[in-house]
Amino acid sequence: MMTFPLGFWDISLWLAITAIILIITSEMLSPYYGKINVHINKKRLKNASLATSMAFLITVAVRIINILTS
Amino acid sequence: MQKLGKNATKARATRKISSIHIAGWGLIGFGAIALTTSIIYSSLILAFIGLGLVFWGIIINYITTEEYVKKTLLDTTTLPSLTIIDEMLKELNYNSKAVYLPPKYLREIESNKIYIPKHEGTKLPTPEQILQEDKTFIRNPEAIVLTPLGNELTKLFEKTLNTSFAKVDLAYLVQEIPKLLIEDLEIAENIKIEIENSIVRVRMENSIYKDICKESEKLSGMFRSLGCPISSAIACTLAKATGRPVIVSKHQTSEDGKIIDVEYELLEEPKEKS
Repeated sequence: MMTFPLGFWDISLWLAITAIILIITSEMLSPYYGKINVHINKKRLKNASLATSMAFLITVAVRIINILTS
Repeated sequence: MQKLGKNATKARATRKISSIHIAGWGLIGFGAIALTTSIIYSSLILAFIGLGLVFWGIIINYITTEEYVKKTLLDTTTLPSLTIIDEMLKELNYNSKAVYLPPKYLREIESNKIYIPKHEGTKLPTPEQILQEDKTFIRNPEAIVLTPLGNELTKLFEKTLNTSFAKVDLAYLVQEIPKLLIEDLEIAENIKIEIENSIVRVRMENSIYKDICKESEKLSGMFRSLGCPISSAIACTLAKATGRPVIVSKHQTSEDGKIIDVEYELLEEPKEKS
């Protein structure tokens, strides 16, 4: 049977790493540290990094609830 | 010629954006293939690669920016209009300081106007007097009522903050303007606002308007009281938020243009004749 090879914990770990990369990138590109020549929508990048972080925190919450109820 | 140049810039920007979109969709496509293959062969590595590619494809498409134009274009298209206004006012012999009018002087609350009296020392008329005439050239007292340089910029500020400056106070401006100019609109690298009684001092560092502000200071003394587009926009917001007439009492740009110091004075409203 064909199944998706990644488990819930794998996705959580992947989300954590991606969130860290995005948060660091959005912070480094912040206009508060001077003008940069990267022409991207920094607000959207910040939103994406926050959304990924939230997704990771949700997986953590799910994991904690699982541990508590089991 | 100028139109052709603008079209070429626009076409280049569109091409750049579409190539980024193609790259984004390419990543999503390859990611989808990798994910499908990972399911077929139960490969963990391919699943991670696929997930990464799909995610970054979506991110690239999502964070693609709006169109950007070169700063030199902004300077060269703005400066001539400033010179024209300056020459016109000089020709008409308007030498007094411009006063930014608060909303009660205006028919439409969203608009912004400046009042330039012909003769120095002329008192600001009452709102009723200005509303009664409702013209660009006022006869009694002889003056001109114009739309300021920062009119559209002020509207953009209001749109970005999703508010009307007529409904806020000075404390709100001190709190929100730095974030708006640095983070949201990326107009300046740093901005400081100080309030001392009826004087408001604003210091902007490395603003995108630095060259325009420096050049506008070379124009006539009267024109300096109008300010450059950014200082004019701040004057409009101050007039709206405080409900008091505002003048640009000092406008100074550093030698390298990196620091712009502007001093605004909040005037007392004229009392109605009983």
